[in-house]
Amino acid sequence: MRPRKDDEVLVDVLDVLLRDGAIVRADVIVSVADIPLIGIKLTAAIAGMETMTEYGLFEEWDLERRRSAITRRQYGRRDPEVDRSEAISVGSHSSN
Amino acid sequence: MSFDDPSESTHIADGSSAEHPDGETPEIDEGRYLYCLVCADEDADLEQVGVDGEPVSLVTADGIGAVVHPTNELYDSADIAEIRRWLVRHQTVVDAAADRFGTPIPFQFDTILRGDDDRVREWLRTEHGTISSALESLTDHWEYRIEVVDVDPISDERLIEQDDRLGKLQARIDDSEDGTAFLLEKKRDHRLEEVRVARREQIAADLEARLAELVREVHTLERSPTVGLADDVTDGGADGGETYCRLTVLAHADDEGAVGSVLDQVAATDGLEVRFTGPWPPYTFAPELGGDRSSEESSGGVDDQPGGRVP
Repeated sequence: MRPRKDDEVLVDVLDVLLRDGAIVRADVIVSVADIPLIGIKLTAAIAGMETMTEYGLFEEWDLERRRSAITRRQYGRRDPEVDRSEAISVGSHSSN
Repeated sequence: MSFDDPSESTHIADGSSAEHPDGETPEIDEGRYLYCLVCADEDADLEQVGVDGEPVSLVTADGIGAVVHPTNELYDSADIAEIRRWLVRHQTVVDAAADRFGTPIPFQFDTILRGDDDRVREWLRTEHGTISSALESLTDHWEYRIEVVDVDPISDERLIEQDDRLGKLQARIDDSEDGTAFLLEKKRDHRLEEVRVARREQIAADLEARLAELVREVHTLERSPTVGLADDVTDGGADGGETYCRLTVLAHADDEGAVGSVLDQVAATDGLEVRFTGPWPPYTFAPELGGDRSSEESSGGVDDQPGGRVP
């Protein structure tokens, strides 16, 4: 048989995009507390699905780490991990 | 698992909007959304429409090209349809780059590098050794995904015919009074389940072993099917059966036919259906770049993801 690669099976790889792919660890990558950040809303939307276990990135530890990192930023407590991503400015969109 | 507290979820969701200056989503003064890395000369280019309609370009340095578009924000949405559109655009751009330049190193969705094109070039030069050896190693290799589904489960009667212990149990049941027969039936059902699991595991193990001889890497995935993003897409006919195994392999393009032949043999087994997709960019087999900086910190993190790059 030959492999299929059409719209019908594209979904096969869409969830992989959220979970796999090259991981970059570098100061230049946008991240919160050193974790490459996938959008919080997106994370929550996916997390709400029954397929949670399919999404390695959205395991509980990950959400918790993201949320605690965000909490630290929100309340002004900084630690070395957060300092590494200090180039990220949090606030209103000032440019487009 | 999900956000248990809706108010918190809403708060976080609202956080990224301009009306909420205390929002949590990081803003990027200038950034480049990364699709993939490819082998490309300085004068190469790639015109594509990217995620959210952004114009895609190729930033090159020392024979490596990064497929990017400019962005000043993370792509984040609670709307699954929108997420799907973004993911499809991401995949389309990576596919176009792959068609043009050969096997890419694909990035996870929403990988954004801080800085402008010059910063991308600087990063490409810093990571040149790792990237070029990874690209060279992946040349003409693609990811293929395989799912084996039992769409017509073998009947209890046939299993009883084929299995000695089941045959004997059935004979005793037939010769027993009601009470004894009831207990023996429980034993028989337990044995039936054992035989079914053993059959499934045998077929999965045989397939994995045969594929391992043909391809560079085989990873076993969770058996549960992926349905999360498939809301409005037919899932290819895997409904109504038990998934025996899901595998993803990294194979040379020249070996695609041999993999297909092995799968044909599995598909010839009564009741089994094989789903074979690809060639995909090697998402599951993509390397980690710049991983030497914080390996200790990351040891409980990305590397431990289930279903990830290490089986």
